[in-house]
Amino acid sequence: MMRKGRGFRNESRDGVRSGDKYDQFESTTDEDAAAGRAQRSVEGWIILVVGLHEESTEDEITDKFTDYGEIKIFIWLRSVNAGYTLVEYETYKEAKNAIDAVNGTKFLGSTLHCDFAFIRAPISIASGADRESRDRGANRNRVGSRRRGRSSSPSRRY
Amino acid sequence: MVNEDEFYVRYYTGHMGRYGHEFLEFEFRADGRCRYANNSNYRNDSLIRKEMYVSPLMMKELKRVIQESEIMKEDDQRWPKKNVVGRQELEIRLGNEHISFETAKIGSLVDVQESDDPEGLRVFYYLVQDLKCLVFSLIGLHFKIKPI
Repeated sequence: MMRKGRGFRNESRDGVRSGDKYDQFESTTDEDAAAGRAQRSVEGWIILVVGLHEESTEDEITDKFTDYGEIKIFIWLRSVNAGYTLVEYETYKEAKNAIDAVNGTKFLGSTLHCDFAFIRAPISIASGADRESRDRGANRNRVGSRRRGRSSSPSRRY
Repeated sequence: MVNEDEFYVRYYTGHMGRYGHEFLEFEFRADGRCRYANNSNYRNDSLIRKEMYVSPLMMKELKRVIQESEIMKEDDQRWPKKNVVGRQELEIRLGNEHISFETAKIGSLVDVQESDDPEGLRVFYYLVQDLKCLVFSLIGLHFKIKPI
């Protein structure tokens, strides 16, 4: 392991490395059961689109995604290195249709990749403090290692 | 090829002041867990802690952005040292490389140009902008809150 930088001296524990509880958005809509690993956000389903050609325009991309439903929010992050869009639809069906239709297709000669932006939390760590964040470099099977030593967690309310 | 599990990103910016330890911090773990913490004690604002899981495609794109920035080739040795205004940290683990860069807060590109390592610090500055932009977008969309 090659380590570099002055930041290794800091061991602040009141930020993301603390063991405190973090708020998650817990969706409880009728669509959730059919959504597989995809996670709904507060007001809809967010999809991510990467691989956009640098000359494509916002109008072209929004036109494309309007075919699958009304776009509620469209964010395009463009910079020297980054270049992707986040699109919000109200329903799972619209989002899934857009993903299935667009993923792997070419636009202006560039292959687009498209999927849901958010996934559900693994069930075993869905609640409570997470001590394993301190061992973030550790390379282990989180779900498996937890389940062996403890009784199973209650199932989630979906 | 970089092992999927050997990927971690954390950014921190903050300072100690009259309102205590005020900071903004976020991290991405290889399994997609993204945590965001924002502590401002000004007018008794409380600590915000949010957690969400992003998809493998999002993590792949994040990794691409980091790799293309070539931040792993830089070094913070000649960057401005942290000061009373505060500090920033960028920790990235990618394969068998692990960086944890620390520098002062950067107000604008003028600070970058006037530093002893403008090329390296510019890479840091733009990458941090991209990462912040990504996290603020994700938090905003997922929870409908405006982080700042």
